Amino acid sequence: MSALGTGKEILAGWVVLGCLLVAAVLISLTVGQIMITPAELLRGLMTGTGPGSLTLRVLRGPSTMTAVGAGAVLGVSGTIFQILLRNPLAAPDVMGFMSGAGCAVVAGVAFGLLIPLPILAAIGGLVAAALVAGLSFHRGAKQSPLTLILVGIGIGFFASAVSSFLVIRMPPQEASDAQRWLAGSLSARNWGHVLQVFGLGALLFIVLALQVRAMALLELGDELAAGLGARVERARYGLICTGVLLAAVGVAVAGPVPFVAMMAGPLGMRIAGVKHPASRLTAAAIAGATITVFAEVISRSAIPGLQLPVGVMTGIMGAPYLLWLLWKEVEAGEV
Amino acid sequence: MKAAIELVLLFFVAIALTLVVGVRDAGISDVWNALFAFDASDPTHTVIRSVRMPRLVAGLIAGAGLGMAGTIMQAVTRNPLADPGLLGVNAGAAFAVVVGALITGYSDSGMMAALAFPGAAIASIAVFLVGGARSGSGSPIRLTLAGVAINALLLSLVSAIILSRAETLEIFRFWVTGSLAQANTRPLEAMFIALLIGAAIAAIIAPRIEALALGSSLARGLGTKPGAVQLSALLAIMLMTGAAVAVAGPIAFVGLVVPPLARRIGRHVLRSELVVSAILGGSVILLADTAGRLVVAPAEIRVGIMTALVGAPVFIFVVRRLKPGALT
Repeated sequence: MSALGTGKEILAGWVVLGCLLVAAVLISLTVGQIMITPAELLRGLMTGTGPGSLTLRVLRGPSTMTAVGAGAVLGVSGTIFQILLRNPLAAPDVMGFMSGAGCAVVAGVAFGLLIPLPILAAIGGLVAAALVAGLSFHRGAKQSPLTLILVGIGIGFFASAVSSFLVIRMPPQEASDAQRWLAGSLSARNWGHVLQVFGLGALLFIVLALQVRAMALLELGDELAAGLGARVERARYGLICTGVLLAAVGVAVAGPVPFVAMMAGPLGMRIAGVKHPASRLTAAAIAGATITVFAEVISRSAIPGLQLPVGVMTGIMGAPYLLWLLWKEVEAGEV
Repeated sequence: MKAAIELVLLFFVAIALTLVVGVRDAGISDVWNALFAFDASDPTHTVIRSVRMPRLVAGLIAGAGLGMAGTIMQAVTRNPLADPGLLGVNAGAAFAVVVGALITGYSDSGMMAALAFPGAAIASIAVFLVGGARSGSGSPIRLTLAGVAINALLLSLVSAIILSRAETLEIFRFWVTGSLAQANTRPLEAMFIALLIGAAIAAIIAPRIEALALGSSLARGLGTKPGAVQLSALLAIMLMTGAAVAVAGPIAFVGLVVPPLARRIGRHVLRSELVVSAILGGSVILLADTAGRLVVAPAEIRVGIMTALVGAPVFIFVVRRLKPGALT
């Protein structure tokens, strides 16, 4: 990366990144069918009464905070895979893990299983990841990241088709809700969702913090990492599991929102101008949260009186980024 | 020869099942009578004529169009993962029709469906440019990812437009995954003619596409202009894909599954491959549709979901067979 700066520039980068998130959250809380001024919000926060308080507690607060949490875990998850596979295209959304998680949740609802959504999502994500790893295995040949990504795309297609198949079996109202959720949706979130995504997310961030040293070593290459005392295979599987579980936590509260996981890492790294894995992951968490909150506010205020699923918005934002990424690589003659 | 007989047999089985199977039971004799000794007072005859016949025709147009378009795309790009659905050409056609209906406020059948053609053309040009096919450096993964991105973008926009018009879930599903359930409201005759023109163009340029596959300098020596051939191929793809989407919505994976089988049965002669892929594509769609009507009867699974359930594993199989070097 050429965008690396000096200490001062990096500090400025972090400030910009933080300000963007704060701005996004403020816009999300104030903009909507009824506009609420920041002053009213502050009054609501202090006194617990008035329109500001209602907005914070019930109307917009929970959705906004769920967006922050889901965006952060998805951003970190995407960055883990991007670092492990050394490829900006490697992300749990592109590689089908999130579709797998979504599929498991829909299956749980369709068959009336009494298993909490995060556990269903985790099972689905891990099964999808195992399938991707297993099916891209060639006897006697080293797995190429590109094969993994293509097989992952295939698993994603399959999981989405199974989800659509299961939705048909549901009663109409439930089917309509499930369809919306599968597009990635943050409407009608409550504080339970916020607590869930922040609680589980924090737990997994701690687990990830313990693995960051190994991750930095893996970045140097397998031989060098092994020489420096890392247990390469074990560290890699551990990180993959953490990444899949983080994605599952995001899916459980917001559905399989596309492209946040893929965009967050590169965006955060570019703005903050950092390179070390720990800083990249932190930047990705902030960037992912910012992207999701922005997408959430646009998706519910772009067309008056209508709430689009947030995933429609991240698709409209993320797909051009992917096209630009590919175009740049065509120009450079890479990939 | 044996394969050809099996193919024709499969085709007729698929047609027969489409007409016979459904919520209202009908035997082969009912179908025969409905077609040749029509009795307007018999509800079974009416269902066969007004519901199942359009469905059959739409399935054949969509299957033949997508199958042949896939075969031409794979031959031109020499990429076994090329499929009008996966590369976003279907989504381009659907997007254009939906936008046209949004701007003019008219319904999307009839003239509006003709917007599927420019939509398909623009999406194919975009995916080939981004995928690097023009510079000759197009790799399967880059083209596939460009398709994933264009698909995601256009389908997100289609969803946003349809949801903003408060249309029914049924219309939304038609333009996002494809279905034969609305066949009797689609412009079948016009799209059949478009399909025929596209197929004729494809058949005429087939030998030149084969010459191009030998390498562009050799092809020039044999009197083939690469640019003209690619442009004609684009025209054929546009007509065949546009017709398919106009009658059945964006159905993915048919153009992926059919061509490899067509190559075997057609013995690697592109013209025979085209004939085989038309018959095979039609059969695949009809069988998928019939299966979709049977598994959760009286509800039905849209044909686009059924093709994805079968097609996604095929996609993974094709990826696994790619040589590692072919990916980069």
